Amino acid sequence: MDITQVLLAAQSADANLRAAAEANIKQFQEQNLPSFLLSLSAELSSDERPPESRRLAGIILKNSLDAKDSAQKELLIQQWVSLDPSVKLKIKDSLLVTLGSSVADARQTSSQVIAKVASIEIPRREWQDLIAKLLGNMTQQGASAPLKQATLEALGYVCEEIPPEHLVQDQVNAVLTAVVQGMNQTELSSEVRLAAVKALYNALDFAESNFANEMERTFIMKVICDTAVSKEEEIRQAAYECLVAIASTYYVHLSPYMQTIFNLTANAVKGDEEPVALQAVEFWSTICEEEIELQEEYEGSDDANSTVNYRFIEKALPSLVPMLLETLLKQEEDQEQDDNAWNISMSGGTCLGLIARTVGDAIVPLVMPFVEANITKPDWRCREAATFAFGSILDGPSLEKLAPLVQAGLDFLLNTMNDPNSQVKDTTAWTLGRVFELLHSPCSSNPIISNANLPRIMTVLLESSKDVPNVAEKVCGAIYFLAQGYEDAEAVSSLLTPYLPNVIAALLTAADRGDMTHIRLRSSAYEALNEIVRVSNIPETASIIGQLLQEIMRRLNLTFDRQIYTSGDKEKQSDLQALLCGVLQVIIQKLSSSDAKSIIAQTADQLMLLFLRVFACHSATVHEEAMLAIGALAYATGPDFVKYMPEFFKYLEAGLQNYEEYQVCSISVGVVGDICRALEDKILPFCDGIMTVLLKDLSNSQLNRSVKPPIFSCFGDIALAIGENFEKYLPYAMPMLQGAAELLVVLDQSDEDMVDYGNQLRRGIFEAYSGILQGIKGAKAQLMIPYAGHLLQFTEAVYKDSSRDESVTKAAVAVLGDLADTLGPISKDLFKSHLFHVEFLRECQDMDDEVRDTASWTQGMINQAIVS
Amino acid sequence: MADGNNPAPPPAASPLQSHRYAIKSSAHNTAASRRREQAVAIGKERREALMRAKRVCRTPLSGSNESAIEDGDMVIDDEKEGLETRTAQAVQELKSSLSSQGKGAQKKKIEALRALRRLLSQSEVPPIEVAIKAGAVPLLVQFLSFGSSDEQLLETAWCLTNIAAGQPEETKTLLPALPLLIAHLGEKSSTLVAEQCAWAVGNVAGEGSDLRSTLLAQGALLPLARLMLSNKGSTARTAAWALSNLIKGPDPKAVNELIKIEGVLNAIIRDLEKADEELATEVAWVVVYLSALSEKAISLIVRSHVPQLLIARLLASENLQLLIPVLRGLGNLVAGDGYMVDSVLIVGHSITDQALSSLIKCLKSDNRVLRKEASWALSNIAAGSFEHKKLIFTSEATPLLIHLLTSAQFDIRKEAAYTLGNLCVVSAGSTDPPNIITEHLASIINGGALPGFVNLVRSADIESARLGLQFLELVMRGYPNGQGPALVERQDGIDAMERFQFHENEAMRNMANGLVDKYFGEDYGLE
Repeated sequence: MDITQVLLAAQSADANLRAAAEANIKQFQEQNLPSFLLSLSAELSSDERPPESRRLAGIILKNSLDAKDSAQKELLIQQWVSLDPSVKLKIKDSLLVTLGSSVADARQTSSQVIAKVASIEIPRREWQDLIAKLLGNMTQQGASAPLKQATLEALGYVCEEIPPEHLVQDQVNAVLTAVVQGMNQTELSSEVRLAAVKALYNALDFAESNFANEMERTFIMKVICDTAVSKEEEIRQAAYECLVAIASTYYVHLSPYMQTIFNLTANAVKGDEEPVALQAVEFWSTICEEEIELQEEYEGSDDANSTVNYRFIEKALPSLVPMLLETLLKQEEDQEQDDNAWNISMSGGTCLGLIARTVGDAIVPLVMPFVEANITKPDWRCREAATFAFGSILDGPSLEKLAPLVQAGLDFLLNTMNDPNSQVKDTTAWTLGRVFELLHSPCSSNPIISNANLPRIMTVLLESSKDVPNVAEKVCGAIYFLAQGYEDAEAVSSLLTPYLPNVIAALLTAADRGDMTHIRLRSSAYEALNEIVRVSNIPETASIIGQLLQEIMRRLNLTFDRQIYTSGDKEKQSDLQALLCGVLQVIIQKLSSSDAKSIIAQTADQLMLLFLRVFACHSATVHEEAMLAIGALAYATGPDFVKYMPEFFKYLEAGLQNYEEYQVCSISVGVVGDICRALEDKILPFCDGIMTVLLKDLSNSQLNRSVKPPIFSCFGDIALAIGENFEKYLPYAMPMLQGAAELLVVLDQSDEDMVDYGNQLRRGIFEAYSGILQGIKGAKAQLMIPYAGHLLQFTEAVYKDSSRDESVTKAAVAVLGDLADTLGPISKDLFKSHLFHVEFLRECQDMDDEVRDTASWTQGMINQAIVS
Repeated sequence: MADGNNPAPPPAASPLQSHRYAIKSSAHNTAASRRREQAVAIGKERREALMRAKRVCRTPLSGSNESAIEDGDMVIDDEKEGLETRTAQAVQELKSSLSSQGKGAQKKKIEALRALRRLLSQSEVPPIEVAIKAGAVPLLVQFLSFGSSDEQLLETAWCLTNIAAGQPEETKTLLPALPLLIAHLGEKSSTLVAEQCAWAVGNVAGEGSDLRSTLLAQGALLPLARLMLSNKGSTARTAAWALSNLIKGPDPKAVNELIKIEGVLNAIIRDLEKADEELATEVAWVVVYLSALSEKAISLIVRSHVPQLLIARLLASENLQLLIPVLRGLGNLVAGDGYMVDSVLIVGHSITDQALSSLIKCLKSDNRVLRKEASWALSNIAAGSFEHKKLIFTSEATPLLIHLLTSAQFDIRKEAAYTLGNLCVVSAGSTDPPNIITEHLASIINGGALPGFVNLVRSADIESARLGLQFLELVMRGYPNGQGPALVERQDGIDAMERFQFHENEAMRNMANGLVDKYFGEDYGLE
């Protein structure tokens, strides 16, 4: 077989030729993998072959080493590892040779394949001479620029592919040496220098010990700072990207270089091309984030650790703030129309907001003169920048500092909603939203919003909701935050009641207006509506909400009549249905927890019919929002929900099996819980199906791990609902719980995410045990005896683990009580032989009310079991 | 080669393809995810609430009056004072939470209720009095209003349950709460709420006959009875417990009504047959009161499957909590309706053998109550036909009874004596003195029972003394070969009888003197 011809045919325009070629390739691959891979690498390295076939050869080679799917990836890795060493050596040598090829495509592809091979071999302590060989490419006399560029790219990819711990210090040093050499200003090729800076970016994570060494660190920093003023824009940008990465990774080492960096960034922000200026601002945003995190971490403590916070922002404040305020005046025309717009004024405002959060009150006197000087200027850019600056600094400074300013300025802002320029109005509406979000607390002694100014605020907001879509969208946001302020203060939320009919009407109109073209307006309008419903004062607004319910149902019904021609139409229908189901969920939730429950009872049939139709529209996926709404409906209808189960069940089952969209799966699991609580033992006929899918989910390695803890909790929900009928699931469920408990032992405790996940998993496991124990309690309690020992061992292990959080503690304590409660005197010996509970319960006495409460109950249960 | 023709772009070495989240952004992005998180959180809260309800402290339950486990914590004065202050505060919180409205307020209400409930259930000496004085009860009544959330009802009922467990005068302050508590027992309530209300009602009913009459007049019986029909173990158990408190009498009206309610007898049968021991215990107490107070109820019960089930439970269980009401119920049935001995416990049927074995098991028990109740039940069976007497006489029961007669506490001795006495005679018709079964009498005397009977004669209790005298008469009249009087004399029987020579009770005086004259008169000792 002529591999070149086949590879070319595989890219032919003729579908038949293509299919035949693909079949050929597949056959070759399956018949003789080593020879197949060798041919591909030979093809890639041969300058006599056409670039097209070389490129495809490289891609196939790469795809033979890596895949997105983790199981497939593992398989490919094993395949490569078990190849004959001589074959692998040949391929690798051929790849290294290709780095020097005259064809750019071949070089680049080869550098990627090298990184893939390295990611398999280097963690296995193989191909240890790769880095040295790559360094050799950089240092050999007369190395061509293309070879150096490809070599640096290969180094960058290698660093990107493998975790830092797999390179020994010598190798790291070699990488840095190669990179710094490439960055040297004497290097004539700008391509080589660019590749070097990009490689350095990837290598930074490896350079921990180099950064700890002052001499090496200063050298690296100097090279980067020099590079930041290169002639080529792209190289300057890459250099700043390195500085940004260093700001977050090596904050502790930055102090000596800050003056230099400040000067560099100030110049870049002022005069450099926008991509470079954006990175310069990004550097300061990153410093802010570091210092905010440090403050949060050491809040209230003056211990020595806090010296690590250099307060760079505070020190640079007098120069930093004016520099950023200048950027605000560089708006793009109509930037509000573009969802993905990102420019220097937007990043400047964002950075200003971060600075406000970092330094608090100190920013106010630096910003207010700018605001006052610009807010009435004839140039719209000045007015917009002034408002944006004001809106940006509302989060951070104290209420005392801001309240007088806001009290004085609110009326001005409301007037500005009539500004002739829509960008000014857009930013003003956003600023009003920020004011409501951050400073509006109706229960405070001197509230920003009172009976006196609420009528005017409402008039302006309702009027402005008719403005151009982007302004209207920000106005919806302002209404959303205005309503949210009443979240925990419904005593005063009846203040809103008189405005409710008009607000609802305005939001529905806004939603209609945004329907086809301004998706953001539509979403914001419906979310504002949701918030209005959520905080409304139910006795007096029940009938208004009842009418809204009818209207939303009508709207959902209309979505089924839409003409669907394209997948785009389908997506639009689906988005709108999601929003409407969201509103329905909020309304159901609101009414069912009040005296107005009957409204839901009367509409339940219609609602369910609508939700089922929503499901039917989407054969492949299950609608997340409809699922949530059904959960709320189940709670509202209680045992009556059983009549919907036969029809609903298939969609529930599909939702529980949606591995790709794991959020759908997760929400469906939650809905099973809702249904369990609603139906109690009436859920029994559906449990076989549900348990089967849940167990399958648990054994599925593709399913996002975050879904697994809720599945365990769901076992508990089911057991609580069906009681001793859970018996038949014990042989399946209990090994899963025990397996998960064992898995916890090997979780990486140094990884914060894993610690967090470990706690979720523990809570899930305990909730499962608790539910099952309480469910089975009674005549068949002895069924739980075989599992009691393991549970106690697991609980003891959790007790001894310092990473457990309070919710886990509570769940662990509770499960001990459940065990004693369910097994009674049978558990006597178990508790006597696992005495850790004595100390555990004693410790709980120093914890919060809920834990203490649970612990006392558990103590009582254990006493009873032991004494009887 | 799906990947072959559409290669993914090479991974970019440049990291910041996407910029950071702009400060000026639409609210809807975060709003939607926040809303979804809230929806999910609500489900979690409900799970928590359900589990809290399951973990309601169950210790004060059961008509057996077994006291709860004490953990030995002394309440020091300071602590007590602190507790009282906190309780008064909690009631104030409760009051202010009532005046706020809406959803955040709902959370506040629940928290205030939960705080009060904790205080009322934590200590050995709960601060009930303080809570009542601070005005908790009228507030709690408001929290019971219709349409309230389940958790609110649950917490409220729990508070009321704990108050009801207090001193009688404290319990009486709950009068205004009773109609709503009873209303929430109904079918429209969730089972957890109904269960907790049953709990409160049960505590109130346990306080005395006045409160029982009030509860009955307000219609507590029917919903509790319906609740007992529940398939859910804990619900049925709590309902049965509350019912047994409610029907304690002394007025038999409630019991007569209860037995007429459809499904009640079937539920009793179902639970005695299948339920766990805790539930069976509470149901057995219901049987106890039914059989103690109503002939109508007894007559229905003895004709049902219940006697068989009681006997089976008695045989199968070692749980004292359960055995006591089961045995007492069985005793009531045997004593209350001749049908039981004549037509159920027919000699030769296996049920009768099982009944006897179960009673023998109880006679052997370490527990005084069981021994006494078993003796009492046996005495009623021993009053039956000759076959019954023969069956008991030939069983292990006789030596056990003799042993009890001579060594047990007074009240058990009496029941044992009745049984032994009944074994020795068979009724000869309404007027004639009973015929003596000589074989039984001789064997029982030879077994060592006589000193026990002579002791009874010495008893200050007239009834026991009469029992003793009657037995001595049997011995002297019926012991083979006229050796009776000599046996009695040898056990100091004459001395015992002569103590009645000047007794204030005329009947006893005459009886004792008559016997002494008849058997130890002038002719005594001449033969």
